[in-house]
Amino acid sequence: MLRIKLFAALLGVTASLFTLPGSALAEEKPAVIRFAIPGAGTGGRPITGGSYLSTAHLTGALEQEFKHDAIKVQWTLYPGAGPAVNESFASGLVDFSGHGDLPIIVGRSTGLKHKVILSYSRFGNLYFVVPVDSPAKTLADLKGKRISVFKGTAGQLQLNRLFEKFGFTEKDFKVVSMNTDTTKSALATKDIDGAIITPFDLQARGVARVLLEIKDDPKLTAPASIWVSEEFEKKYPQITQRVVTALLKVAHWNSDEKNRKEAFKLWSQSGTAYDDYLKSWESYTLKERSTPLLDDYYVASIQKSIEEARRYKLIRRDVSTDGWFEPKYLNQALKDLKLENYWDRYDVAGNKLPNKLAQQ
Amino acid sequence: MPSSKQWLGAGLVALASSAQAAPSTEELQKQIDALQRSVEALQQQLQETRRAETTVTPPKGGDILASQTSSQPASIATKEDVDGLRSDLENYKYEQQRNRETKTALSSRALTIGGSVQARATYQDVPTRAGSTAVADDRYSSFDVPQATLNFSGSLYRDYAEGRNLDYRLAFAYAKNTPANNNSQFNVTDAYLRYSPFPTVTGLEEPKLTLTLGQQQIPFGLEAQVGEELRPVINSAQFLNGLGVGTRQIGLIVRGDYDPYVDYGFNYRAPLLEYAVGVVNGNGPNKSDDNSDKDWIARAALTLPVDYNSLFRELKLGASYYKGSKNLTRTAGGVTSVVDQGKSDRFGFDIYYNHDPFGFTYELAQGSDETLNGPDVKSRGQYLTLFYTFGEQWVKSFRGQAKYDDWWPKSYQLFTRWDQWDPNRDVAKDKTTISTGGLNVFFAETTKFQLNVSHTDYEEDNRESENQYLAQFQFGF
Repeated sequence: MLRIKLFAALLGVTASLFTLPGSALAEEKPAVIRFAIPGAGTGGRPITGGSYLSTAHLTGALEQEFKHDAIKVQWTLYPGAGPAVNESFASGLVDFSGHGDLPIIVGRSTGLKHKVILSYSRFGNLYFVVPVDSPAKTLADLKGKRISVFKGTAGQLQLNRLFEKFGFTEKDFKVVSMNTDTTKSALATKDIDGAIITPFDLQARGVARVLLEIKDDPKLTAPASIWVSEEFEKKYPQITQRVVTALLKVAHWNSDEKNRKEAFKLWSQSGTAYDDYLKSWESYTLKERSTPLLDDYYVASIQKSIEEARRYKLIRRDVSTDGWFEPKYLNQALKDLKLENYWDRYDVAGNKLPNKLAQQ
Repeated sequence: MPSSKQWLGAGLVALASSAQAAPSTEELQKQIDALQRSVEALQQQLQETRRAETTVTPPKGGDILASQTSSQPASIATKEDVDGLRSDLENYKYEQQRNRETKTALSSRALTIGGSVQARATYQDVPTRAGSTAVADDRYSSFDVPQATLNFSGSLYRDYAEGRNLDYRLAFAYAKNTPANNNSQFNVTDAYLRYSPFPTVTGLEEPKLTLTLGQQQIPFGLEAQVGEELRPVINSAQFLNGLGVGTRQIGLIVRGDYDPYVDYGFNYRAPLLEYAVGVVNGNGPNKSDDNSDKDWIARAALTLPVDYNSLFRELKLGASYYKGSKNLTRTAGGVTSVVDQGKSDRFGFDIYYNHDPFGFTYELAQGSDETLNGPDVKSRGQYLTLFYTFGEQWVKSFRGQAKYDDWWPKSYQLFTRWDQWDPNRDVAKDKTTISTGGLNVFFAETTKFQLNVSHTDYEEDNRESENQYLAQFQFGF
């Protein structure tokens, strides 16, 4: 009787193996996972800070996850920021990446195929900085002057929002394109008249001052996104899930207040001063800024960014969000790690909602 | 285990109580024991503190998530730390200044020095004596340095605000003597000033305009002007020499573009119209004009205004026209004299498509040269090049990625070219057709290895076709 039961059980297991979908059996493994980060550290060093994506890179969290699978994790950091990631992705060189709102929207508007799987890096204060001896007292005093922004990045959309808030457009200023390092130098040499930038190290050096500081305005800022290429996601759904789960663990670590100083120390390897992180994050909890959730605020914010990009003429055609967001990997990871209620959710206006179960 | 504070407290209490009355020997012994334990506990605490300051375990990958969650309190810099830093800074400043004065090449204006060298091995199955000394035997193979250039460039006036710069360039190229000897010539190739009346740093959407005065490459066609991305072959197309459009000229040339299609989301710029107009002597480099006529040149090119991600990205059509004149000469009694000036016009059409990893270029160029006695000589050259790249050499953002070391994406470019030159269309059987296949290996930022195999087919009855094999390193600095 026992032998018959054993045989039946083996037969059942064998039969069930044959009935499983192909992907659940033995998914083909990629030899390498190519992860892009839109940015680089001071002087172009291959280190960034400021988000749990940077922490994942610095701590080798994905390498740890895949070290027993002989899957290499290749991080590519782009000093050319989001536009450079778009260029590389268009050439088939990226599987996963982080992106600010404008470059990911521009990419989708031109036919790049990706799925948004996580949110990262949201909120924050906005500082409009001018040379230390600038006579300007308001933004209006800078009309016709040279304002720098890294065009094509999320910063350009943010600058346009700021202009709009005060009744201006880009055309009211001479807006030139510069990266962060160049902007800092240009403020010191007075080659530009203003820029949105973190001011603390510039203030410490006595070369710049804050003209305008706007704290915690979710309408001026927008969350960043982490995406996977449609091709990779379709071919390797299980690997995609493991990437998301590993990143969620890092986001969890990065959201824990007891790790605040440690995270800032890690990030300061990028060349941004530790003090800059301390000051620019001091009015926020880590959870607020490191949430990976694709909540109502995230979705509404991206939709708003699309409309703004169109209004400011930064994209040439409409962008649909249909089928763009793919939260199933995030939801599964939240469930597996029992973190469904860990991060707060925000409504479309960026206001914190009472905590409740994931409904994504 | 009691903490050191507790032991210290106990010791102090014992001491205090002992002050009340004369202690017995036993009580004194207890007080001494208590104090001794306090001291031992303090020593142990001090030891632990020292160990924490000197033992730093570097993070290993993801371990940091678990092992470094308890951050140490931030250290406060002491006066000695600040003095040490100040001393280091002073040393650094001194060293910088000293190195600048004693070990750095200085120039009166901003200067960039560059150049390139080619080192080549050749084998051909038809013997030749070209490029050697006057007395030479046939050879089938040779090692050569066909090119060595040196250039200096920079800004004479730099407009930091808008980039309306006044730039200069002076370039030299090595050339063999003919017939060759152990010496070589070092000729000026480029010598010009260039001014940008339009802003150059305000953004990709701004049109460009430059005025270039001096000795320079003329804007005719693709072959002589484009970078190696579109010119993978070692030897240039035949019409460049045949029509003389590959040589430098002295004059004034205006180059610019209009209505650029800008895609900041990819850092991509494609001007709808690129143009160039200019006036030059027309008789080549390093000499004054040889007549009173000037040669005129015009070029226009259209690039499809599409997104970077479009299949039609970098599809460009161009046309060039060169209105020239040359001296018509007659030799009588051993004396050659100029009789008149005759037209020497050139027309070209070109198209290129470059969508990494593949692309092609096609170019057609025709010449019409007046002669003293007889019909005009009409010549024609054309070529088609197809190429395919394995690797990221041409993906600007990828090769510009942040790296600590001297990294460069290794790339392999396969190509094939068909190149035909007809020096006189009215003469039969005078065409030369060269078919070339090859591989370029890019393995460092400015260095590549090239392998070309070509078959040259001469229509002339008395000339044998030949095969040539070239292997070459080209490096820049």
